[in-house]
Amino acid sequence: MSEVEHAMSISEKIVEGMGIKTVFTISAFGVSIPISDTVIATWIVMAVIILAAFLLTRRMREIPKKPQLLLESFIGFMDDFAKEKIGHHGRTFLPFVGTIFIFLIAANLAPMITPAGTGLYAGGLEPPFVIKPLTRDINVTAAFAAIVIVTVFVSSIVIRGPVGYVKSLVKPSPVMLPFNILEYAIKPLSLCLRLFGNILGAYIIMLLIEAVAPAVFPPLAGLYFDLFDGLIQAVVFSFLSTIYIAEAVE
Amino acid sequence: MDVQSAAMIGASIAVLTGLGAGFGIGLATAKTSEAIARQPEASGKITGSFLLGIALAEATAIYGLVVALLLIFSK
Repeated sequence: MSEVEHAMSISEKIVEGMGIKTVFTISAFGVSIPISDTVIATWIVMAVIILAAFLLTRRMREIPKKPQLLLESFIGFMDDFAKEKIGHHGRTFLPFVGTIFIFLIAANLAPMITPAGTGLYAGGLEPPFVIKPLTRDINVTAAFAAIVIVTVFVSSIVIRGPVGYVKSLVKPSPVMLPFNILEYAIKPLSLCLRLFGNILGAYIIMLLIEAVAPAVFPPLAGLYFDLFDGLIQAVVFSFLSTIYIAEAVE
Repeated sequence: MDVQSAAMIGASIAVLTGLGAGFGIGLATAKTSEAIARQPEASGKITGSFLLGIALAEATAIYGLVVALLLIFSK
């Protein structure tokens, strides 16, 4: 294979990996809804989270055993965080922010199940399916950003009251009014693009490493790009959502 | 020079935004470790604002990446 052909095959691989495939189409009531691979991966992640929630809370005890202890310390950590940032409305928003946090952790760690270079180590056995990171699809992150900004808007109106809300728009001075309104567009845009860009960037780099050096490097680089970056981005997204909500209800 | 190669050059210029983000995150990390060394008991609060700061600093690099991808893949 010549140099040019090799380079072409790498770039084709990357374009193919980035693309979102439509797996099947549901037709109902005269409309056809295309179901892409990210939707199916989202369903799998949802099923895993629901199953885990069901199993972990099935037999709650006064004196907790190990799984319950882990769960309690995790929920306690999120509860402390929400209380510290949002104040006395913390308990109201804990389920919302906590759900986003847990889902994003699961979504960003899901591709670790079928890491790069599996076929090489399993003696040429390719895994029957490959879970690609869900958040590389901009539709997923845009949906999350939209949910967050609607929550910020509605909770600000409900908690401050309509008059208090209008007053908060002209703080600290009426000159700031256009900027305060612009924030409702900028905040979700930056939330959406940050998560999407980080995960897609890490994914492209992993595809490149896998194409250039499939032997030793993919698992090592995967520790950073999949595990660490995925966790950090989940933390950053839920952290920023909490801050935005705290600003809106204070 | 045709449009495609101009777009490629534009994409590589857009990725230069990584310079600013790297510099900013490095500065933030340096100041954070300095602050934690001075006041280890306030490390929780410092880490919180550090995370917020690097998330905002990193956004510029991500915008560069998104612009580069748009340049490459929008025909």
